[in-house]
Amino acid sequence: MSDSTSLYVDGDSLLHRLDPRSKLALSLALFVPAYVFGRPEYIAIPLVVAFAGLLAGGGWRNLKRIWFILVALFVVGLVLWPNFVEPSGPTLVDAGPILLTLDQLLFALGRSLRIATFVVTGLAYISTTANEELVRGMRGLGIPYAFCFAVGTALRLFPTFLGAAGTVRQAQEARGLDLSASNPIERIRNFVPLLIPVFMTAFRNVETQSMALEARGFDTRRERTFYRESAFAVRDWAAVALAVAVVVGAVALSSTGVGTF
Amino acid sequence: MWRDTRMIMLTAVVAAVYAAVLIPFNAIVIIPGLTSVRPANVFPVIFGIMFGPAAAWGSAIGNLISDIFSGQFGAGSLGGFVGNFAFGFVSYRLWGNLGALSSGEEPDFRGNSGRQLVEYVIIAVVGSTACAAIIAWWLDILGLFPFSVFATIVTINNTLASAVLGPPLLYLVYPRIKEMGLLYPDVLRSEDYDTSAGARSTLGGYGVAATAILWVVIGVAIGVGVEGFGFFVSMGSVFNQGGSTIQMALGAVGFLSLFAFSFLARERFSQIRRN
Repeated sequence: MSDSTSLYVDGDSLLHRLDPRSKLALSLALFVPAYVFGRPEYIAIPLVVAFAGLLAGGGWRNLKRIWFILVALFVVGLVLWPNFVEPSGPTLVDAGPILLTLDQLLFALGRSLRIATFVVTGLAYISTTANEELVRGMRGLGIPYAFCFAVGTALRLFPTFLGAAGTVRQAQEARGLDLSASNPIERIRNFVPLLIPVFMTAFRNVETQSMALEARGFDTRRERTFYRESAFAVRDWAAVALAVAVVVGAVALSSTGVGTF
Repeated sequence: MWRDTRMIMLTAVVAAVYAAVLIPFNAIVIIPGLTSVRPANVFPVIFGIMFGPAAAWGSAIGNLISDIFSGQFGAGSLGGFVGNFAFGFVSYRLWGNLGALSSGEEPDFRGNSGRQLVEYVIIAVVGSTACAAIIAWWLDILGLFPFSVFATIVTINNTLASAVLGPPLLYLVYPRIKEMGLLYPDVLRSEDYDTSAGARSTLGGYGVAATAILWVVIGVAIGVGVEGFGFFVSMGSVFNQGGSTIQMALGAVGFLSLFAFSFLARERFSQIRRN
């Protein structure tokens, strides 16, 4: 997929060559430690690994695209969480209503690192997995074909509708549509002339597309055969084994109190 | 539903449109990167009423696609998937199922538009609240954001967009969609959807509304420290470093109740459409 809306980066890295299911297992192997540990120094480990995976998969340009979101999520977590944790440990800041202790800060830092780990891991997965592979992976996991077909079709239609939405926006703004009204209700209402054309463009062809599918023998009730079957290579089994080992190890360690508050 | 080609195509188109409008159109940014009032949030409600289960699945997939293309795909996406499914599903099941509060009419805002507006706004609020509660619960379980913060923000965002944009959009597009023959009672075979006009169905409708709203109200109340619950979640009471145990328990009860009541509330729109 080469359209600019996709975050997939074409490449031949090890992550690119892995089956989407084994990549999912590896993602879980980063999610689980980030979840079961609470101390920031422990959560930093899966975050560093996720960053390394992202860079190895050529996802640097994607990181540049979303760095603002990542930083915003990190900062919001860092600011929010101290307000939801009982103050304990040495005091770092005590200025009027603002009280921040070392434990509160470490707790909040751990939560923000967890958010960052989840986002970077997801980004590494998306950067190295094409849309078609995503759908193939879902099918390989036993998800019903009709659902996978709907996801695959939506992924194909999405860039078209995204383009249509941009065109409609430019056209309506050229006609004087103001999307910067100061009254929030007024601003939301001004989106009506944008949504109607996008909406109607999308649904106009549902009937003919359905007929075209059925004319080609589309039938979700019968057992399907596929030209390209997913094959789990040795490297995929190795990735799954590694993921299982990491998950089991992280859960075992955290249950003994390692890396937790 | 999955046997019908048109419903599958509707699911795909709903998903693609939802994602295509979610990403570029932000009406009001509240916290950059985290939350904004998004006009696309009207879609699960109006699509839910018109396209039924296809809209529920489409909203869930659309939100997932939005996460994928905006670089926010991750463990939190599961909550977004289920929450947006509920957003569409609740809207599908509630139209006509709110007893005296229901207009008993098609949502074209042409006949008794005052009663239709009341019914629509209730559905928009309940759908928005159910979606917010599920997403906030999941993020609280993952220990990413406290329930009280996220549930409040998402409820307000979703409600604003869906309540303000829904009535004019339905007024303009409902007759056209009806003319195209794409309303779900016109697409699905009658044996493919559960319909009922009984009191049990109305009870289910009220149950969904009460559960969604109570879940958020009680969850936020726990978060802000009323009724003797501490404002703080002490680190010792944080279950497995995820969310707070009490929010997890409340969420489990809320989620199961929402699930049970929404299946008790059989759809009634097809009967209104036939009459």
